[in-house]
Amino acid sequence: MIFALPRIRWTPLKMLCLCLLFLNIVGLLSLFSSLHQGGEFRGHEVFLKQISWLAISWGLLVLFSFINYRIYHDFAFILYLLNIALLITVIVAGKKAMGAQRWLSVGGITFQPSELAKAVTILLLARCFTAAKHSVFSRSFLFPLGLVALNALLIFKQPDLGTALILLLLFLLMGFASPVKKKYFIILLLIGLLSVPFAWGMLKDYQQKRLIVFLDPNVDPLGAGYTIIQSKVAIGSGQFTGKGFLSGTQNQFNFLPERHTDFIFTVVAEEWGFLGALLLLFVYWLILRKLLEIAHTTKDPYAYMVVAGIASLFFLHVFINIGMTCGILPVVGLPLFFMSYGGSHLVVSSILTGIAFNIWRRTS
Amino acid sequence: MDSRLLRKIFLTGFLIIFFSLFYYQVLKGEYYLERAKNNYVRVIPTFSIRGEIYDRNGIALAYDRPSFQISVIPYQIDQKKEMLFTEIAERLGLDPQKIMRAYKKNRMNMFTPVKIIPDIEKFEAVQLKNEFSEDIMITPQPQRFYPYQAAAAHLLGYVKKASSFYETLKRYGYTPLERAGFKGIEQYYDTYLKGQDGGDLIEVNAKGRMVGFLGERKPERGKSITLTIDAHIQQAAYDALEGKTGTLLFMEADSGKMLALVSRPAFDPHAFITGEGLGSIMKNEKKPLLNRTVQATYPLGSTFKPIVGYAGLAEKKIRPGTTFRCDGVFKVGIARFRCWSRHGTQDLYEALAHSCNVYFYNLGLLLGGEKIARWAKAFGLDSRTHIDLPHEKKGTVPGPQWKARTLHSTWYKGDTVNYSIGQGYFEATPLQVLVATNVFATGGYLVRPHLLHKVEDEISGADKREYLRLNPDHLETIVEGMRQVVTAEEGTARQLRSLHIGMCGKTGTAQTSGPNHGWFVGFFPYQRPHYTICVFLEHGESSYEAVKVSYRFLKILQEKNLFSQREAPAL
Repeated sequence: MIFALPRIRWTPLKMLCLCLLFLNIVGLLSLFSSLHQGGEFRGHEVFLKQISWLAISWGLLVLFSFINYRIYHDFAFILYLLNIALLITVIVAGKKAMGAQRWLSVGGITFQPSELAKAVTILLLARCFTAAKHSVFSRSFLFPLGLVALNALLIFKQPDLGTALILLLLFLLMGFASPVKKKYFIILLLIGLLSVPFAWGMLKDYQQKRLIVFLDPNVDPLGAGYTIIQSKVAIGSGQFTGKGFLSGTQNQFNFLPERHTDFIFTVVAEEWGFLGALLLLFVYWLILRKLLEIAHTTKDPYAYMVVAGIASLFFLHVFINIGMTCGILPVVGLPLFFMSYGGSHLVVSSILTGIAFNIWRRTS
Repeated sequence: MDSRLLRKIFLTGFLIIFFSLFYYQVLKGEYYLERAKNNYVRVIPTFSIRGEIYDRNGIALAYDRPSFQISVIPYQIDQKKEMLFTEIAERLGLDPQKIMRAYKKNRMNMFTPVKIIPDIEKFEAVQLKNEFSEDIMITPQPQRFYPYQAAAAHLLGYVKKASSFYETLKRYGYTPLERAGFKGIEQYYDTYLKGQDGGDLIEVNAKGRMVGFLGERKPERGKSITLTIDAHIQQAAYDALEGKTGTLLFMEADSGKMLALVSRPAFDPHAFITGEGLGSIMKNEKKPLLNRTVQATYPLGSTFKPIVGYAGLAEKKIRPGTTFRCDGVFKVGIARFRCWSRHGTQDLYEALAHSCNVYFYNLGLLLGGEKIARWAKAFGLDSRTHIDLPHEKKGTVPGPQWKARTLHSTWYKGDTVNYSIGQGYFEATPLQVLVATNVFATGGYLVRPHLLHKVEDEISGADKREYLRLNPDHLETIVEGMRQVVTAEEGTARQLRSLHIGMCGKTGTAQTSGPNHGWFVGFFPYQRPHYTICVFLEHGESSYEAVKVSYRFLKILQEKNLFSQREAPAL
C-alpha cells in the first residue's frame, strides 16, 4: 500500500454510527427524490423539517448514551404506567389524522405516543423476563403478556393495527431470546395463529379492507390496492441497477402515494435497483448483527434483554415495511426506521440506539 | 442468554425479503419495467352526482346538470398542440389563446389528462369526438347550477374542487378531484350532499389506448336536502335590498325556521365554478363574499332599547307609566349626550315609539352597566345563534367587568349611557339581533334559527328553543311599545302602518365611523306573531332607509301573496 489508511478499530459503536449515517444520507436523498416532481423540487419545508429531526435525533442519541441504562430497570413500571396514561390521553383528546387518533399535540409539536410505547415495552419486558424467578409461569410469562396486551389493546383502539401487532410480535421475539421456557411462546404463537379468524371481526372496516386488498390488490384499485400495484411496479421496474437518482418514473410522475413516509423503500428500489436495495438491506443486517454483538458481550441479563429487544424491534420494522412495499405483507402503515419521513419514529429509534451505546460503554 | 434463535429468525426474514426483491427486480424486472414504461395504470374518475338543495316548496335552489369537458393527454399531443387547439377553437367559436392558457394552467405531467375546455353541450361534444377522436378525451362531468344565482349566494355557498384545500380536506377522505362545498349550506351539509366519486382503473398503452381493465368503483349519489327557505321570499328579499349594502332576515317566529336570508352585495356562485369573473368579485371594495348576516358584527343602536326597557321593568327600576323628560340633551358630568329630537315628557311606550334617547339614558343609569350586560346576555346577544351556517361570529356584550378584563380600564357612567342606546363597544350580528327581538314575539322563547328541514325524506328535527321564564306582563308592555313604533302618530316606523299586517318593531340608527347604520327589526301580526324580520343597512344613513326596505319587501310578499295564502306549507 502506498497510502497507509488510518487504522480504525471497528467497535460495534463506530460501526453502528457509520451505518446510521449511511441510512440518514440515503434517507435524505430518497426524500429529496420523492419530493421532486416534473423536474421541480416541491418540498423545501418537508425537507428542512426532516433535517432538523435528524439533528434532534443525533442529539438524543448522544444524550442517551450517557444515561446509565440501569435506571430503566428500576423505573420500568413507572415508565409503563406513564405510557398507558399517554395512550389513554390520545384516545380521549388525540388529534384526528386520516381517520385515526394517533397524534398528541403538545405546544404545536405533534407526537405519536404509540412510537414511545414500543420503547417502553422493550424496557419493561427486559425486566420481566430477567426477574429472579424466571421459571415461574405466571410471573415471567402471564404477567408481562398481560401488560403488553393492555398496551397493544389501547394502541389498537386508536386504531393503529400495525403498532399493536408489532408489540405482540416483540413479546414473542424477546421471549425467544429470554431465559424463560421457549415452549410457552411457541404455544402462544400457535394460539395466536388459530385465533386469527376470531380477531377478524374486531377489525375496523378499513383494516379489513387493507387485508383483503393485500390478498387481491384488484379489489380496491383506487384505494389501498392502487398503492400496492404502483409500489410493485416501481420496485420491479427498478430492475438490477435501477433507473438512477431522480429518474424513477413511478415516483416522479406522482403515481405512488405516501412515498416519502411508509413507501420510501420503493423510491430506493426504483432508483437504485436490486443492487441499491441489497446494499440497504446489508446495512440493516449489519446494524442487527452489531446490536446482537453488544448483547453478547454484556454480562448483565437485563442489558442483554434490552439490546435483544431493540434488535427485534428494528428487525420487525425493516421486515414488515419492506415486505409491504413488495406486496408480500399487508399495508399496515409502519415507517422504515432511520429512513422514512417523520419525527416520532426517528426520535424513538435514536433513543433506543443511545441506550444500546450506553450498554456497550458500560460493559467494555 | 442465548440469541442464536433470534439471529436465525432475523436471517429468515432477510432472506425472504432478499428473494422477493430478487423475484420482482431481477426475474420479473423486465415485465415491470415494461409496465412502468408503456403500460400506464390510469384512474379515469367517474363523478358522483351531488345532492340537490330544495326550498320548502320543493323548488330547486342548487342541482347538478350534465355537462361535458374536453381534456387532452400531453404525451399524445405535445407536438401538435398549437394546430389542434386552433382547430378545436374554430369549431367551437372560441379563442385558441384561451385554450392554450387553460392547458398550461392545468398541465400536471405528461400522462395525466389536462382539462382544456370545462363545459360544452352534448351535441358539440359528440361532434368534436367524431373529428378529433384520436387526440381528445370527452368526459361527462356534472356541473353545479344555482338557478337563483346571487340571490341565494351567501345562503347556499358554492362548490369547488377539493384540490385547492386538499391538505386540510384529505384527512376527511376527499380526493383532489372531488367537489367540496365552500361556505353556506354547501359547506355546512357537505357530508350529506357530497356523494362518493368512483373511477375506473385501466391500463393504457403508449398511445393512450386502453389495453386492460383493472377494476372500478361505482360513484355514489349524494343526499338531497330541503331547506326551510322559501325561494320566492328569498328572491323578494334580495330584490328589496337592490342597490343597498346590508342584510334582510325573515324567520318563522315560533320555530326559528328561516324563510329568507340575504346579504348584499352578493356574488354569482357560478363564478367559482367556471372561474370567470372571479377577479371582479375579489377586488370589489364592498366585500361581496362577506355574509353580513352571520359573519360581521355591528352596533345595535336603538334596536337594543326594547331589551333595556324590559330590563328596567324586570329590575323594578321603572313602571310602564314612569316618565322622564327629554330636552334633547342629557348631561353626565361635563359630557353632553344628545337625543335626535326634543321629545318632552315620555313614558315607556312613547319612549319606544319615538325612540327617545334621553329616556333610556336615564333608565340606563338606574340599571348600571353590569345589569344591562346581564340582560343582553339573557337575550342571547353574547352567544352564537348556532344557525346551520359555517363561520358564524358572535358580537361583544361589554360591561364594567368586561372592560376591566379586556381593556384594563374603568367603566364610566358615559359608557353606561352609550350602552343604554346600543352604542359603544356593543356589537352583534344581524342574526343575533333578529333572535333577541324574536324573544318578544314568542312570549319569551330564545329560538335557534335554522335552515335545514329535511335530508332526503327525513325531517331534521332542528326546531329547538329555550324558554327564558320572563315576566309575561313586562313582555306585553314592551310589545305594546313596539306596536306604537308603527301605530303612533310620530312612530319611527309609521310608514309600515299602511301594510295592515299588525307590525310591531323597533328602528335603529347606529352611529359609527362613516355614515350611520340603519336597522329595522320587528314581528307581526302583533296579536299572535308569525314572522320576525330584521333589516340591516351598512352605512345606510338612517333607520328610515331600513324601514323603506322592509316596506318594499313586505309589499312584494303581499302583492305576490307570499304569506297570507301560503300558510299551508308551514313546515
